[in-house]
Amino acid sequence: MGSLLDDLRELARGFRWGRRPLVPRSAEAHAEPREPGQFPTAWARTPVARAAREAILALGLRPLVWNETAPRVFGLDNLEGLEGPVLFVSNHTSHLDATLILTTLPRRWRERTATGAAADYFFDTWWKSIATALVYNAFPIDRSGRGRGTASARQMLADGWSLIVFPEGTRSPDGWVQRFRTGAARLAIEHRVPVVPIAIRGAFAAMPRGRSWPRPGRLPISVRYGEPILPREGDDHRALTQRMYQAVASLFDEDRSTWWEAQVRAARGDTPSLSGPAGPRWIRVWEAYRPLPRRGPRPTWGRR
Amino acid sequence: MTRPGFVLEVDERTPPLLVHEGEGFRLQRFPLGTRVVYPPDPLPGIRDVRSAIEEALLHPHDSEPLPDLLRPGMRLTIAFDDISLPLPPMRRPDIRQRVIEAVLRMAAGRGVEDVKLIVANSLHRRMTPKEIERAVGERVFRSFFPRDLANHDAEDPSNVVEVGRTEKGEVVEINRRAAESDLLVYVNINLVAMDGGHKSVPVGLASYRSLRHHHNVETMLHSRSYMDPRPEASAIHASCARMGRVLRDAGLRIFTIETTLNNETFPKEFGFLNKREWEWSLADQAMFLAAKRANDAAPARVRREVFRRIEAPYGITGINAGDIDAVHARTLETLHRQQLVEVQGQSDVLVVGLPYICPYNVNSIMNPILVHCLGLGYFFNLYRGKPLVRPGGAMILFHPVPWEFHQVHHPSYVDFFEEVLAETTDPSTIQSKYEERYATDPWYVHLYRTSYAYHGVHPFYMWYWGAHALDHLGDVIFVGGDPRTCNRMGFRTASTLRDALEMASDRVGRSPRITYLHCPPLALAEVR
Repeated sequence: MGSLLDDLRELARGFRWGRRPLVPRSAEAHAEPREPGQFPTAWARTPVARAAREAILALGLRPLVWNETAPRVFGLDNLEGLEGPVLFVSNHTSHLDATLILTTLPRRWRERTATGAAADYFFDTWWKSIATALVYNAFPIDRSGRGRGTASARQMLADGWSLIVFPEGTRSPDGWVQRFRTGAARLAIEHRVPVVPIAIRGAFAAMPRGRSWPRPGRLPISVRYGEPILPREGDDHRALTQRMYQAVASLFDEDRSTWWEAQVRAARGDTPSLSGPAGPRWIRVWEAYRPLPRRGPRPTWGRR
Repeated sequence: MTRPGFVLEVDERTPPLLVHEGEGFRLQRFPLGTRVVYPPDPLPGIRDVRSAIEEALLHPHDSEPLPDLLRPGMRLTIAFDDISLPLPPMRRPDIRQRVIEAVLRMAAGRGVEDVKLIVANSLHRRMTPKEIERAVGERVFRSFFPRDLANHDAEDPSNVVEVGRTEKGEVVEINRRAAESDLLVYVNINLVAMDGGHKSVPVGLASYRSLRHHHNVETMLHSRSYMDPRPEASAIHASCARMGRVLRDAGLRIFTIETTLNNETFPKEFGFLNKREWEWSLADQAMFLAAKRANDAAPARVRREVFRRIEAPYGITGINAGDIDAVHARTLETLHRQQLVEVQGQSDVLVVGLPYICPYNVNSIMNPILVHCLGLGYFFNLYRGKPLVRPGGAMILFHPVPWEFHQVHHPSYVDFFEEVLAETTDPSTIQSKYEERYATDPWYVHLYRTSYAYHGVHPFYMWYWGAHALDHLGDVIFVGGDPRTCNRMGFRTASTLRDALEMASDRVGRSPRITYLHCPPLALAEVR
């Protein structure tokens, strides 16, 4: 009989303790549907957890992200006069996105904002669940299509929490914007809450899929908040989703050119597409991977 | 919807897999590419078993409803499967109890008074009163035991009668009371495809004179496999079918009631044993670790007692009654739905983990001959079509194979092991040289009749049960087996799976195709 430690080591290795459990490839077709994440997150909205989150974001994550990348934030004035709850809706290319939004939001918004996170990714192990819930005030969203994936989001909105939602459902595989799912629009219509569009450019170049740390070079990232969109009478979820997508596209356009030019193109219906250049996938990845041009004077003592 | 069985191919994502090894279990890493045969998930059990039984008895297949067969003044005999089924013993109420009570309620309602109940134990040991009570329930037991509820005694000349002979000259000799009844109701539990059908009465209620016609080496070598009861595949089933026809032609009216169980083999405390490993929760892993550590550290007696107390929470998946052939076809259909897994092609090596229990060591000890029977008999034969392993391939079995016998239950096994196997392990030689002597030994007959001993010939049958495997395989290696017992039986031992594969490499090469039959819960491989 081996030692208990040996047994524990074997279990930890064999069953991937602390990592996402994997199904053998040949068993994937026979995998039992997993119940959507039921990890309790209410504790993450208690005063103590909120204080801890504020400290982590302000003293930990923000300095870290600002040190490793060079974010610039625009359009926060659009939040002036707005009352929560709202839906912050952004494109999604990187794990940096939620951090960028939470660390750029004014504090009064940040402390009443929660993040919808994929149950199958962020809530698949206990340590990831705790960390995600604490740092991002996250709640699990079931992406499997079974059951009511947005039930928790509804409850959060009803409780007065603003939500960060990535309507693409997952990070973009090529750095360009994927089709928006309609869940966010349904939520906005159902709860009659404004949608604040956000465009994040440069995050894919700074930390794309597959990386767990930003690329060296303190690459620039632009976080641009847009004007709130209010669901109109008679708006259905498709129409509102289209407006959200259009707003994000216009913010991208604005970031690439100027606000006025973007406005003119939007009025003409000429806003450039967000789906990237035509052609094989590698061309789109190549383009998206190109860092944003640096703004302002180059630092005298360049980093790396 | 129940998930079907499937064949896993071990890849780098596959966790270590559970392997049974007698009164214990382990997690074992298998070489990449190993195929693992998993049975289907448990079928949903029938919710209202009582109504299902009533329905089966009132609307039987190819038979009049049971009440129509019952009349005052008739001789009614109810025979039922003995302690060898199911495995592990099922949680109470046992399905036999529920069916027998339903039959008796109808018999009482129709004014039947002459009722006898017989345990169809054939040449198995007699069931103790406590075991019988567990199977039939307190109400039936108290009403009939011991005068009208008893074990079948195959060695009492006044208790058996020759009903006739088959066209091949096979003697059909069964329990006299059963043969002379106006109606014989047989209550069966069909755990594996080998059970049931015509094997129930001509085997369960038979004598040595009758059994020797199909429980022999020649028949076993032509039963490929005996888990495939089609007459063209299994000589033993063909023989039983012939005997069944003799009984029918002699005017014996048999109303058979067959039941099938799902794959819920282990109670929830051992729930991890029922699950596919990559679906183990943290709680399952903790349970495994706790159970394994406690089991490994426990004294042998405590360990055995814990395993002995395991009761399976089986669900009932089918109850069919009526004519034997019509009923058994439906029984097999349900059974296959629960156990059948399609496997493409044979492999060079078959790996199995033998559990703590087989049909002949309930409340007893799994001695080396029973290990042989379970591994090379039952597990090897869990196929239809072709064996899981190619001719000349190797079979690797996990079991400690301790040199241990139950002195009350298996007295002839001790002598068989010490005397017969010390001289030869060849089934044909053993049969021709020793069988008759053991089968007719007065002391063994006495113990069979008056104690709780298996018949003197029973260890021979256990050895014959593995004859097909011995004939087919090139090598048999026990991982963790006691070298003394394994050597006596002509097998080799290895400390680890890696060593066993190394030892087998002479026959199967360095990169053999390996199949691990992940049982229990039971799977039946349909090998294409």
